[in-house]
Amino acid sequence: MNSYKLYKLICKNADLQEKRHPLIDKNRFMKFFLVFYWLYFAAILLFMGVVMAMGMKNSYNGVAAFHVFDGGVLYLLIVDFWLRFGLQETPAQRMQQYALLPIRRSFLMRTYLIRSGLAWGNLYWWFMLVPFGLITIAVPLGWLAFLGWLLGWWLLCIANGLFYLFCRALILKHLAWTLLPMAIHGALLAIMLVPDKNPLDMPCTLLMYSFLKWEFLPFLCVGILILLLYKANFTLQMGMVHDEVGKKEDKEIKHATQFNFLNRYGKLGEYLKLEVKQRMRNKTVKMSFYVGLGFMILLSGLMYFTDIYDNLDFMRSFICLYNYIVLGMMTLITIMCYEGNYIDGLMSRRESILQLLTAKYYFNVLLLLIPPIILLPLMIIGKMSVWMNVGYFFFTAGVIYPAFFQMAVYNNNTLPMNTKITSKQGNTTQQIFSTVIFFLPLGLERAANALLGEPWGYVFLASLGIVGIATHHYWLRNVYKRFMARRYKNMEGFRASRNS
Amino acid sequence: MEIIINNLRKTFGEKVAVDIPDLTIHSGELLGLVGNNGAGKSTLFRLILDLIKADTGTVHMGQGARGKEHENPSCPDNPLAPCSLPLAPCFINVAETEDWKDWTGAFVDESFLIDYLTPDEYFQFIARLTDTSDEQLQEFLSQFQHFMADELTGQKKLIRTLSAGNKQKVGIMAAMLLRPKVLILDEPFNFLDPRSQNAIKHLLKKYNEETGATILVSSHNLQHTVDISSRIVLLENGKVIYDIDNSEKQAQNILENYFEVNE
Repeated sequence: MNSYKLYKLICKNADLQEKRHPLIDKNRFMKFFLVFYWLYFAAILLFMGVVMAMGMKNSYNGVAAFHVFDGGVLYLLIVDFWLRFGLQETPAQRMQQYALLPIRRSFLMRTYLIRSGLAWGNLYWWFMLVPFGLITIAVPLGWLAFLGWLLGWWLLCIANGLFYLFCRALILKHLAWTLLPMAIHGALLAIMLVPDKNPLDMPCTLLMYSFLKWEFLPFLCVGILILLLYKANFTLQMGMVHDEVGKKEDKEIKHATQFNFLNRYGKLGEYLKLEVKQRMRNKTVKMSFYVGLGFMILLSGLMYFTDIYDNLDFMRSFICLYNYIVLGMMTLITIMCYEGNYIDGLMSRRESILQLLTAKYYFNVLLLLIPPIILLPLMIIGKMSVWMNVGYFFFTAGVIYPAFFQMAVYNNNTLPMNTKITSKQGNTTQQIFSTVIFFLPLGLERAANALLGEPWGYVFLASLGIVGIATHHYWLRNVYKRFMARRYKNMEGFRASRNS
Repeated sequence: MEIIINNLRKTFGEKVAVDIPDLTIHSGELLGLVGNNGAGKSTLFRLILDLIKADTGTVHMGQGARGKEHENPSCPDNPLAPCSLPLAPCFINVAETEDWKDWTGAFVDESFLIDYLTPDEYFQFIARLTDTSDEQLQEFLSQFQHFMADELTGQKKLIRTLSAGNKQKVGIMAAMLLRPKVLILDEPFNFLDPRSQNAIKHLLKKYNEETGATILVSSHNLQHTVDISSRIVLLENGKVIYDIDNSEKQAQNILENYFEVNE
């Protein structure tokens, strides 16, 4: 088989792997939602492209519309970079399946790198760029200018994708490498946002303008950049293939903490231990906890040290609510998905799921003791009211958590617990649900405070929460019964998505 | 404990995975289940354990039905009363209640193991769930010293870092830990070294003789299956082809002929 045919075959297999993912293949609802979301965001981008073009018309403060747009090229590339997390695997992660076949690893690596460069995903921004460019470039400057501009954007996206793959490979080696893109993007954002005038605006505009004019040098420079990033990826990821193919965790754990103080709670105590150990010993679960905690501290710190949110009531409520629900949301929105890895063992014990759910609830209520500690400085300096904290504390434990726990009935996709960054975290339904859960309480808080006034609005929220806490045995059993009624369907889903 | 299978059928698309009109596994039997790949052995075990839904039919577990005098833990009002009905109330439909889980131990695959625990922690977890004291647990583990070969307990290794054979050992031991009246093991000899295979054969035989537990073991190893089983069922395409009394090891020839071992 010649190289081109082999390349096509590997690409075809990769396409089939994505298309036949168990979460999608047997799930019409999921298929519908994926198509819906794809079209939905494409429509939004299309709309944005048209609106921006029409809004700026031919000029904006005397500057051509496309110049204004091109000044923001770095913003778009930063967004593009971070969106790739969760959507794109590194080639080294995909090599395992060909490990024993007579195909050179260097050929496989080249295939995957070229495929990622030519992926349709790099053209997704075109839904915005094409209408914008058609109106603001093609009409006044002609088709050739428009095509040059579009080609320039595409090449920048390819370079950005290769930079992402490089960073992602480093992050797989050690999580601390996350700081590399964060530092680069943070520095770029600081340079662009802190001074009154963005010093990178003009260079970006000129670069994109030179694409538009089909100047050779910028294309050559971007081409060289792509080649350099390709070469850097190739070298780095080839070095990682051995690690990935022979991946085996072989270390002993340093401390096998037993949490014996939980023994007094009998079987429930055992499930509580399980919950704690799940968080401590699995990279994905541990990481989501740290990420949540990091954002809690970041947002609270911003509010404490700066005055940017001082006059924004909504942001104050948002930050308070975020602090209370984020740790729970990180794991409860995908509740049972980690347990999918050992669901058969759980299901062969009487009422183990009920005990597990109860332990999960108690554990997450205990986690609610963290936000008041983080938010205490804000309460002391008067930037956040104590009543708001009391309201959200009880509301989260008694209303939001019960809502999260409903997902236990419907979640049926196993998530890997111990990958450093998983390729997929949760599904679309879970993401929609988390969005609703996030913004519904804010609306309720607004309405309660508008009707009852502060602090009675928060007292109302707290009261609702206390009812939920008091009745937790009842609604947990209800969730358990509904889970058991759907157990065959869920177990089938867990099994199908395990190790996929 | 008796297991009664009635009109049990499970299909995956066009493929019939299990189709058993009637099969009773008697109390105290050590039943070996053999068959080619895809014969339906694991599916049958999963149906018995209520881990997948049957298209039709039922699996009942219970003790001493059909008019015999028996000790009946599920009939608290009159535990020694004879059951007059074909499937008296003392028999439990596994899909309708979880009571049977108290006396059933099973290991089918790695999805039975909580892999972020050490073997010690996992045994302790199972022991606490089954109200087994620490002393009883230690006594239980001491019987398996030879089987464990100093590789499982007293280590700080998580189950996920163990070899396939050691994971298999953890699963088998955890299934036996609650002293089950029904023990179900899917291919327990897989991944084990010859010494461990021998050890598990003896452990199963001994457990069966001492406790009178009903044991179901599937395997591709005909010799081991013949050595330990009092009865052997050969499954093919989900159907029972042979149901052989093996009390005198008479199944050997039938199985070897069927699988064309000597050709």
